[in-house]
Amino acid sequence: MNPPEEATPVVEMRNIKKSFAAVQALRGVDLVLHHNEVLGLVGDNAAGKSTLMKVLSGAYVPDEGEILIEGERVHIANPWDARRLGIEMVYQDLALANNLDVSANVFMGREAVGTRVGPLSVLDGHHMELETQRLLDRLKIDIPSVRLKVERLSGGQRQAVAIARATAFNSKVTIMDEPTAALSVAAISKVLDLVRELKAQGASIIIISHRLEDIYQVSDRMVVLRQGRKVRDCAVEGDINEFREQVVAYIIGARDDFARKAAG
Amino acid sequence: MSFFKDAQKLFQENIREYGMYIAFFIIILIFSITTKGLFISSRNIGNLLNATSYIAVLAVGMTLVIVIRHIDLSVGFLAGFLGAIAAIALKFWLLPVYATIPLVLALGILAGLFTGFLVAQMRIPAFVATLAGWLGYRGALQLATEGTGTIIISDEIFNAIGNGFIPEIPGLDIFPGIHKLTLLLGIAAIILFIRGEIKSRRKTRSYNFEVLPMNMFMLKLVFVSALIGGITWVLAGYRGLSWAAVVILIVVSIYSFVTSKTVLGRHIYAVGGNPEAAQLSGISVKKITYVVFGSMGMLTALSGILYSSWLRSATTVAGTLFELDAIAAAFVGGVSVSGGVGKVTGSIIGALVMASLTNGMNLMGVGISSQYIVRAGVLAAAVIFDVATRKTVK
Repeated sequence: MNPPEEATPVVEMRNIKKSFAAVQALRGVDLVLHHNEVLGLVGDNAAGKSTLMKVLSGAYVPDEGEILIEGERVHIANPWDARRLGIEMVYQDLALANNLDVSANVFMGREAVGTRVGPLSVLDGHHMELETQRLLDRLKIDIPSVRLKVERLSGGQRQAVAIARATAFNSKVTIMDEPTAALSVAAISKVLDLVRELKAQGASIIIISHRLEDIYQVSDRMVVLRQGRKVRDCAVEGDINEFREQVVAYIIGARDDFARKAAG
Repeated sequence: MSFFKDAQKLFQENIREYGMYIAFFIIILIFSITTKGLFISSRNIGNLLNATSYIAVLAVGMTLVIVIRHIDLSVGFLAGFLGAIAAIALKFWLLPVYATIPLVLALGILAGLFTGFLVAQMRIPAFVATLAGWLGYRGALQLATEGTGTIIISDEIFNAIGNGFIPEIPGLDIFPGIHKLTLLLGIAAIILFIRGEIKSRRKTRSYNFEVLPMNMFMLKLVFVSALIGGITWVLAGYRGLSWAAVVILIVVSIYSFVTSKTVLGRHIYAVGGNPEAAQLSGISVKKITYVVFGSMGMLTALSGILYSSWLRSATTVAGTLFELDAIAAAFVGGVSVSGGVGKVTGSIIGALVMASLTNGMNLMGVGISSQYIVRAGVLAAAVIFDVATRKTVK
């Protein structure tokens, strides 16, 4: 299951530090994401999961540390830089425009242009609808029509649209912030199916989640953060109950694999 | 029975849009009966359109402002002030009309961009920023007309914008009393509409996307053609299409095209639907705010031109309460209070509904105080309808 160690990882974050006023949110975190890997990122509230991912997606600029994308050092100053590098984030609050239809949301900010009239670019609506339909079919997402307004979709369908959009434009890395929060049980399993489908099609994914079952079900590897530090980095394997017990021990601070490094 | 089923389905899916057209139709019908046909007479409809034009163009701009979740209270007195500038330019600066109009439009855009600067750059809530504009432009209008009082405009071309009609084809003697050019334009509009609809239907089908069922499609063609034909016939019976109506048509065509067919329009609605999502998707909310307020400023200038031309003068109180009429028209026309929803065509209908109410009740001899109460009821009903139909969606 684990890719060979010598392959260049898609993402490598080294010694990332970030403080907000007096609060040290990240105290030097290393994180590696390999090609075609699903990485689960867990931790208690304020452990630094979201901050770390916001650094990767360009919402925050780190105080220290470096980021390598496919082995090359990059500087990510804003979300657009991250996007250009192929890093897409699915936000917890979805970031969809409910008043627009599915295809308009998938193409938001990247609309296909047919012709130009003076200074105006005319939308190529048919192209966008076709491409959206193709995308939904490819990811086996069940939505009756790409012309449906997002406000008419269920929570799970909206999450699927948000994820589809993040993967629509040949992204290298998809980050999902709590993709199963506030969803029904049936919807959760659909979203997890979608994650598996994406992996089967070669995507590299980082999932932040409070739900250890979800992480257990779809992730290859997991990283536990606690108080701004990495305390566990291991493959996801074994029995679920054992797994949960172990992870909880790391989350609450009873165990720590990197304690010595932090002290030194 | 599939016809009724199709009709029912179509109606349910588009109830918010159709509701307004049906309401408009009922209002016309009621006034036509109660005034014994006076309301629907060619002369009255022609005057009604001219008297609505300056609110209608404001309502178009206001639609986009409300769509991006802002409001503009300054447009009334700005229109009055810019109308006064137009009058002064013509009368005292002796500028030709062809220089005056671009000058006033440019000033309008500048004023709009300034509002945009306050809202987008300084992050002042639009309500407060434009309330300041309301005060400021009111003062500017009074300052501009202080020395002279009402400024009479004598430029014939300028006055024709608000009062004139398109010329008749010379040398045609058939159909006396009917405006032939208007009739021809109406027929051309119907043909263009049908051709465009068929073309777009064919294209959509070639992509294997759902289209209206054939019977509904035919119904739509017949209904809209009859509507255009009816309006054309009524207008042709008096003096034909007025220049003010031409201005409305041009503004509506351009704005409908921009809002529904272009990337800019898509971005405006995206910002209205979810500004944070739009920003994260790489859309500059700031730029959209500037564009929308800039366009509002330009349309405000146009409104000022239409109004001062219609009155053939600039008065010291021109523009009073225009902003509230425009906002009411937009809400009656289906613009949603929560942003992101609303069409410019809807707002035009909204403006026509509000103007028809005033006009119809005037013809019926209803007192002005009762008129306000009726219009209040219609505005409230429109917003209640909007909220209620929104709920059923979920």
